Amino acid sequence: MSIESRSERGKLTVAFCGDIDEFACRTLRGEIDALILEKSPSEVVFDLKNVTFVDSTGLGLILGRYKKLNASGGVLRLKDVPPQVDKVLRASGVYSVVEKVK
Amino acid sequence: MMNGNHMKMEIPALGKNESFARNAVAGFAVECSPTVSEISDIKTAVSEAVTNAVVHAYDAERAENLIEICADIDDDGTLTVSVRDFGRGIEDVAAAREPFFTTKPDDERSGMGFTVIETFMDELTVDSEPGKGTTVVMRKRIGGNART
Repeated sequence: MSIESRSERGKLTVAFCGDIDEFACRTLRGEIDALILEKSPSEVVFDLKNVTFVDSTGLGLILGRYKKLNASGGVLRLKDVPPQVDKVLRASGVYSVVEKVK
Repeated sequence: MMNGNHMKMEIPALGKNESFARNAVAGFAVECSPTVSEISDIKTAVSEAVTNAVVHAYDAERAENLIEICADIDDDGTLTVSVRDFGRGIEDVAAAREPFFTTKPDDERSGMGFTVIETFMDELTVDSEPGKGTTVVMRKRIGGNART
């Protein structure tokens, strides 16, 4: 798992590549929070196009970031969600709080 | 040719083995001619069960803390996977299976592991005894459309 980020005009995009499982989340959480702290974005987009796997730990990662951003008035969006990821996110009701965009 | 198949493996309950375990079971299931979606379902369910054992069963990551994984394919293409640990066990299995139930909310655990397994597999049973360990058994009929 690796991430790449870019930031412009208050919008931080984080592109994930690989599997988002419990092992990956151990380091991902800190990396993403450091980026959010550094850039103070009003909008964060998780680009999931190159995510090959996600389980409920990844769901915890997404919801955790959503809660933090929401508390400071920020927005989280999920972009280019692949089918396997979409199925897990739908099963867990993430889309009731986090918006999916193309 | 013999129908059906069986595999058994034992791995230490380490985070790095979550990926290995789900991919190993998915590889075993290939002979049932699963669809891409079915392979994803199996990987996701196995990952949930193995992650539970890594995160909850044992206090620390040590080589002697083991997870035993068995998988069986029977004559009609039903895959049965069991994930067993020898750790602390679950006090209240019914409560643990409820959506959003977690004993570790501070770690951002979603509490959706068993719910995801139930969504992706046909059948789930959880047997646990405090102090002895937990066995999760999951069943799914696969490759049905590929057979004539």
